[in-house]
Amino acid sequence: MLIQTISLGKKYKNGIVALSDINLSIDYGEFIFLTGESGAGKSTLIRLLFREELPSSGQILISGRSSIRLSKKDIVRLRRNTGVVFQDFRLMERNTVFDNVAFALKAVERPWDEIKKRVPRVLERVGLAGREQENVMHLSGGEQQRVAIARAIINNPIILFADEPTGDLDPRTSMELMQLFNEINEQGTTLVMATHDKTIVDAFNKRVLTLSAGRLISDSVGGWQL
Amino acid sequence: MKLSSFRYIVPQAFKSMLHNGLMTVAAILTITISLFLCTAFWLLIINIDANARQVEEDVRVLAYLKEDIPDGQEEGQAEAQPEAQGEGQPAALPEAQSAVQPEAQPEIEPEAQTEGQTEGQAEEEQEKQLEEKYAVIRDEIMAIPGVASCEFISKEEGIKDLGSRFGGVDLKETLGGANPLPDLFSIMAETTDDVAVIAEKVSEIEAVDVVRYGEGTVEKLFALTDAMRRVGVAVMILLALAAVVLIAMTIRLAVVARKKEIMVMKWVGATNAFIRLPFLLEGVFLGLLGGLLALVLVLIAYVNAGDYLASTISFVLVLDIGQIWLKTAGFTLAAGLILGIFGSLFPLANRFMDV
Ligand SMILES: Nc1ncnc2c1ncn2[C@@H]1O[C@H](COP(=O)(O)OP(=O)(O)OP(=O)(O)O)[C@@H](O)[C@H]1O
Ligand SMILES: [Mg+2]
Repeated sequence: MLIQTISLGKKYKNGIVALSDINLSIDYGEFIFLTGESGAGKSTLIRLLFREELPSSGQILISGRSSIRLSKKDIVRLRRNTGVVFQDFRLMERNTVFDNVAFALKAVERPWDEIKKRVPRVLERVGLAGREQENVMHLSGGEQQRVAIARAIINNPIILFADEPTGDLDPRTSMELMQLFNEINEQGTTLVMATHDKTIVDAFNKRVLTLSAGRLISDSVGGWQL
Repeated sequence: MKLSSFRYIVPQAFKSMLHNGLMTVAAILTITISLFLCTAFWLLIINIDANARQVEEDVRVLAYLKEDIPDGQEEGQAEAQPEAQGEGQPAALPEAQSAVQPEAQPEIEPEAQTEGQTEGQAEEEQEKQLEEKYAVIRDEIMAIPGVASCEFISKEEGIKDLGSRFGGVDLKETLGGANPLPDLFSIMAETTDDVAVIAEKVSEIEAVDVVRYGEGTVEKLFALTDAMRRVGVAVMILLALAAVVLIAMTIRLAVVARKKEIMVMKWVGATNAFIRLPFLLEGVFLGLLGGLLALVLVLIAYVNAGDYLASTISFVLVLDIGQIWLKTAGFTLAAGLILGIFGSLFPLANRFMDV
């Protein structure tokens, strides 16, 4: 088992209970949709899973170890095995495609020779071959999200979290991106994707977790549940 | 942390400083000003200390003679002298007359009489008596154990010497023809240890008014440097605080400017050290640059002030720059480094920076 949560709960400082009593497990290589209405707690769950936030109750076990007991060194290792992309891409706007992607390797202190070789390869994988020197702000939304995905997967993470990655894209571009996510998953990366796009969920026959008001109300394979 | 990572970290620190332009300049200037003042103050203190120590090593005892040397015969004459000499000086000694007549030659020489015969003869007689008295006093002094030598310095010689030590001023003219100095014997002791005992013995001689030797001055100087040190430390703490606050503000701005990059670094698993080091380095660079600037300014100021002092008050000891520049550089740069590290530690303690 890759990830397991035990009566996981999150109460924010302002008193809002975003999640309560979440019990779920994620296995290696799975493709999971996380659905629910706006405010249901999808983003909160993802933030807890990649440890941007800490749980206020319950536990997250990663490969059987409690995530709250991790040392700094373990956290760094966990992060290196985790990728994350967001609806708003979160790229460094003034920089080129190459610099944005290379930054993920620089940050984990890979040698320059390796960076030069690996960046073009991952850009090819996300369908941006030869676009290294373009400024990211000159790319379309779909292309910017591909840069963000390239940055998230260049360190070959075991699991990739995507929080509404197609939220700002038109249906056609969204489906192209879903194709890319599917490929990444088929190549072995576990994928957890939050979305409230019914068409996307229905188009893929995958496991769907449905949240409502901070509770997990359904966990089943196949289309949209609400 | 890999050594090769510094190829990213070092340029990053410089880029951030350039990006922060105005704030960087403000921080560096604040550090420069505070370190300049701290270092200048410190140099002043060690120079005063050095002067105090020099005085302390002085083996001289100065015995100031009474204006009116007590002696039965002498007293009678003193009463005979008219009181009208002005200048408020007791009239018994020939020097009092020379005050009325500024161009007078050194009084001990018998040729001094250029005035009316009666007065001239009286003067000559007086001077002979005086010389005899001085010889007696000198013998008394030389008889004290531990005395190496003993030199008579008349008030005329004294004021000339003093004038020359203040850059060649004619002090007597400045003072309107009056000479407030007494005659004195300058006594050299064989060793510093004897100075106090000799001073004690000399003060017992009747003709001696006051005895001076280094002790009082040394204590006063040390008390002065002590007080300066206390005030200095307070001022330095305030200045250092200002510098630390400005560095912290600069680094905080740099962190905010790179918020997104820091987030990405965290997501992909950069270590705490890797995320923080560029900012710490930026703080260190700010501190060192400010320190370097302060050092250059303080050395220039020191050389100029030293030259000026040497040409005006020659008896003041100014420590040679070649002797102290290394210490000064160490002091200033180390202070800059510490300020830089302290300043950047505060914004880096932020939880936002944690992996
Ligand atoms: N940082 C925060 N501080 C306080 N409350 C928050 C915070 N983030 C989210 N919330 C609250 O927690 C609840 C769940 O929010 P969350 O963003 O997880 O929902 P979501 O399912 O991702 O919604 P959406 O589909 O709109 O993105 C909401 O009520 C939200 O207002
Ligand atoms: Mg959300």
